[in-house]
Amino acid sequence: MASRPTVTVQSVSGEASTSLPLPAVLTAPIRLDVVAQVHKSMAKNRRQAYAVSEKAGHQTSAESWGTGRAVARIPRVGGGGTHRSGQAAFGNMCRGGRMFAPTKTWRKWHVKINQNQRRFATVSALAASALPSLVLARGHRIEQIAEVPLVVENAAESFKKTKEAITLLQALNAYTDVTKVSNSRKLRAGKGKMRNRRYRQRRGPLVVFKEDNGIVQAFRNLPGVELVNVQRLNLLQLAPGGHIGRFVIWTEGAFSLLDEVFGTFDKASSYKKDYLLPTAKISNPDVTRLINSTEIQSVVRPAGPRVQKRPWTQKKNPLVNKGVLFRMNPYAKTLRRQELLKQERVKAQKDKKGKKAKGSSAGEAFLNTLFAP
Amino acid sequence: MSTDLQWLLLRKYNSFLVKKVPEGPIFSKEPGNLLNLHSHKYSGLANSKTIDIQSSESGLQITTRKSKASPHAVRPARSTASVRNRSGGRRSLGVVASIAKRGYRPDLRAAALGRSSALLAAQKEKKASPPKKVRGKKAAASIA
Repeated sequence: MASRPTVTVQSVSGEASTSLPLPAVLTAPIRLDVVAQVHKSMAKNRRQAYAVSEKAGHQTSAESWGTGRAVARIPRVGGGGTHRSGQAAFGNMCRGGRMFAPTKTWRKWHVKINQNQRRFATVSALAASALPSLVLARGHRIEQIAEVPLVVENAAESFKKTKEAITLLQALNAYTDVTKVSNSRKLRAGKGKMRNRRYRQRRGPLVVFKEDNGIVQAFRNLPGVELVNVQRLNLLQLAPGGHIGRFVIWTEGAFSLLDEVFGTFDKASSYKKDYLLPTAKISNPDVTRLINSTEIQSVVRPAGPRVQKRPWTQKKNPLVNKGVLFRMNPYAKTLRRQELLKQERVKAQKDKKGKKAKGSSAGEAFLNTLFAP
Repeated sequence: MSTDLQWLLLRKYNSFLVKKVPEGPIFSKEPGNLLNLHSHKYSGLANSKTIDIQSSESGLQITTRKSKASPHAVRPARSTASVRNRSGGRRSLGVVASIAKRGYRPDLRAAALGRSSALLAAQKEKKASPPKKVRGKKAAASIA
């Protein structure tokens, strides 16, 4: 195998300084289906219980009138002196009745996810964040940055001021992604506005650090920017909405710790017990390379001569056009000829038979017996 | 990571997808997509070599992805050539065709030429329409 690919570490002023080997997590298999399914379940784990009131629709003493009063047998509010009396109650089809299958607070709000699947999804999302095309496809503005994954010197971890954070992002040419977020801020449609979700906006870069020496305070006020410790990487942040390819900015310390946090393909992680990275089902997913490989090319039949088709000609119907039929099926000619000959033969035979039938009549002996007195 | 796999990951959903016409063609607006069609061949994302042709104030900008660039590089992987506005169609089309001629995505030759000539045609200033001829009664009135 070729030497392990490396990733350059950008200095705080945006120049390339040292380089680090690419962690094994970033070459893990990317499984869109696993990410989507785990994300769907994980997103459910932050829900709050809600339900309609237990008593809703049942706060009357309604009873059915039974048959014989020419009204439906639904329970009806008793008494008089108010419009409510005589109105139907309780049923889900009634005005003022209870809803169908009233929601309960003891609904199953949370979903258990197998630990290995959870880790697989995180690893997949991380691997996707290391491919420029997938990060671009998620909508991050990374056209001007040098490299994906983007790694910055450890000095960034001790930034204390947002001003410093902005200069860093500008030096890395990553600030356009923050600008994108602040331009995208829109008033939310619907009731969410009054439920502390007033605005909606895009997601910006995710900054992953190893030690917080002020980096969180420096970055947290930038719109769309999220921060997370390497040991706390979370699928909801790595693949928001289940869409892989979040733009991740690593600090040098965090990046070099990845091999320990997630392990490699043959060395278990030192933080997750006995955890090895999932291996890919096929080692070479490059279809063109597979087709052109000697193994396949040596078994396939050689290509035949090219068939030139004349365009724009009228298509002839071989069922009608004999010339085309004989070109398609040379035996059809013999078949047709045989058929004609056979018909002639049959006709000749019929003629012969007919003559014979006309000439013959009942014998004399027979007639004598028939007309015997 | 192979481009085939990347295409499969991008194909179903990405931020450049345009599905405005139901039952219609699916478009894609990423840079590097010569026909703006959502397909593996023309995709500007899921190909290791792409040709991007844009018009700018100063002329046609032709951006290609360097074939030897590392798969992780973003900006350093691109190289841009520009054709000045005053150069005209023949030179611009020659420059575009020369990319395919040297063996860089020869399959995109027709699409690249088509896009550049469309961009050049759009840059041309429209000829003013000739003044309307007066006819009938008005013509008679104007003579008199």
